[in-house]
Amino acid sequence: MPRFHPLEVTDIRRETRDAVVLTLRPRAEDAAAFAFTQGQYLTFRRDFDGDELRRSYSICAGLDEGCLRVGIKRVEGGAFSTWANEMLRPGDTLDAMPPQGRFHTPLAPDAARSYLGFAGGSGITPLLSIIKTVLSREPRSSFTLVYANRQTGSIMFREELEDLKNLHLGRLSIVHILESEGQEIDLFTGRIDAEKMDMLFRMWIDADSVDTAFICGPEPMMLTIADSLRRHGLADEQIRFELFASGQPGRAKARAASRVADAAAHACEVSVTLDGTTRTFTMPKDGTFVLDAAIAHHMDAPYSCKAGVCSTCRAKVLEGQVEMEVNHALEDYEVRAGYVLSCQCIPLSDRLVLSYDE
Amino acid sequence: MTNEMPIGDYLAQGGRLTSPENAPPRYRAELLRLMSSFVDSELAGSAGFAAAINWAPGIRERIAASRITLEKADHAERVLDLMEGFGTDKALYERAHDWAARGPREGHVDPRRQGGDMRLSVFHYPLTGWTDAVVMNVLMGSATLHAVGELAACSYQPLAEVLRGVLPRERRHMELGLEGLERLAATERGAAAASVAYWMPRVAETFGPAGSDRFDRLRAMGLRHTDNETLRQRWRAETAATLSALKLA
Repeated sequence: MPRFHPLEVTDIRRETRDAVVLTLRPRAEDAAAFAFTQGQYLTFRRDFDGDELRRSYSICAGLDEGCLRVGIKRVEGGAFSTWANEMLRPGDTLDAMPPQGRFHTPLAPDAARSYLGFAGGSGITPLLSIIKTVLSREPRSSFTLVYANRQTGSIMFREELEDLKNLHLGRLSIVHILESEGQEIDLFTGRIDAEKMDMLFRMWIDADSVDTAFICGPEPMMLTIADSLRRHGLADEQIRFELFASGQPGRAKARAASRVADAAAHACEVSVTLDGTTRTFTMPKDGTFVLDAAIAHHMDAPYSCKAGVCSTCRAKVLEGQVEMEVNHALEDYEVRAGYVLSCQCIPLSDRLVLSYDE
Repeated sequence: MTNEMPIGDYLAQGGRLTSPENAPPRYRAELLRLMSSFVDSELAGSAGFAAAINWAPGIRERIAASRITLEKADHAERVLDLMEGFGTDKALYERAHDWAARGPREGHVDPRRQGGDMRLSVFHYPLTGWTDAVVMNVLMGSATLHAVGELAACSYQPLAEVLRGVLPRERRHMELGLEGLERLAATERGAAAASVAYWMPRVAETFGPAGSDRFDRLRAMGLRHTDNETLRQRWRAETAATLSALKLA
């Protein structure tokens, strides 16, 4: 299982009003583990008042920059991103897992490829890593970036992108689309929708020449763009997506477990929620696993290995107490948040409320 | 561009998820179930085919059987690596079951899986020898192409990508079997025809029940697109053509 390693924050640069770029340095012995591929992300963890939060942020550095950098945009109400933007200082340490993610295509130094990238807001971070890497490692390839933002002031890496354009003359073109700022050409104002995509393909981009398209942004934008790319003849294999990894709620919820201990009773009333439907049944407290009881009551509960290894049967205990016999798959923070492997759970309390939907 | 969209709507409209962090709980569970079934079937398929290496009548066949045994294990590992991202303990998972274990040749294994082993029911039946192994490999190989092809379009992009890489090699396995079957159709017609009769219904069952609530649920999540019966009929038509060309049906 991937492990966390400490990274030292060596620099913090304010990129926009609500985004920072962190430069991070692994310990010498972890350097190999943090060698990354363009477009990958790091998952950080931090304890907020007893709740561990994990958040993933994309690396924005290119392979040839010799450093590890991530961009963090502050999300309204987001505990981690607010903390990183307001409290984090150079010299601090962050716990991170080694780079993950598959938002890239293999590099081919001799290839003359034509790449197309779509970024929405902070979705630029992995694309910046890809753009820098492709421009330096594939000298004959070119990149067209369509970059959507609310307004000029919120454009991350605006200057860096301009510099790249000048450095690699004629190989990087950038189309800025601003939602709430009028520009001279209508095409560049508003949101990316199907009509705008058609215009882009009519006026700026030759769909037939595109080898690979990268999209990173919010869900509706990804759908619109992917749909349009397919309509203009791109195959699924040519379209690479990266959904914002931190699509989860910003704050870890306090767990609602009320612990009712009882030793005398020999049966447990179990309520199990699956796909929005809750079923209640009674099961013996004789060492029978909750998953087996649910299956015996004709619930199509998810499971695979039944050995506490794969985590397919993960569920959340909302009320009551269980004992988990074996756990090789859930991490401590998940267990603290109330998650259990239902194939390994024996009820201890008289009442148990369990959900596969949370 | 901060507009929010419920993840269920996003998936229903063809959206893709790209990392374990994106996956909501029910999606996570169904995806792990699909991946487990693939991993267990590939491991059981590889383990079962290992015996065929020593049944092989010649070096060429021996190499083909070795390659199939090797690559199916490799395919299992590629998907198990994805499961590891969800927390699966890879080392323990590999040892969780006896992948070479088989039940009796006759009798019926309930196609709904029992116990913790997620392999498709067809991998609970033993092979009896070289001809039987070749026939099973051709029939199940073409079924695998339909099943894996279906999942190669699924909404979990990392799995779709891995399976797109696996598909051409699985196709090659089936073709290797077909080359073997073409030779056997001439020399071992009776035995080959008996094996076809044995494996056809058992492979057909691997596509799952015709009407399935689970399919509807998976389709809503973008994890499936074509229903079991449609896939089964496509496979039947294709197999019928192959077998009649060899005069085995």
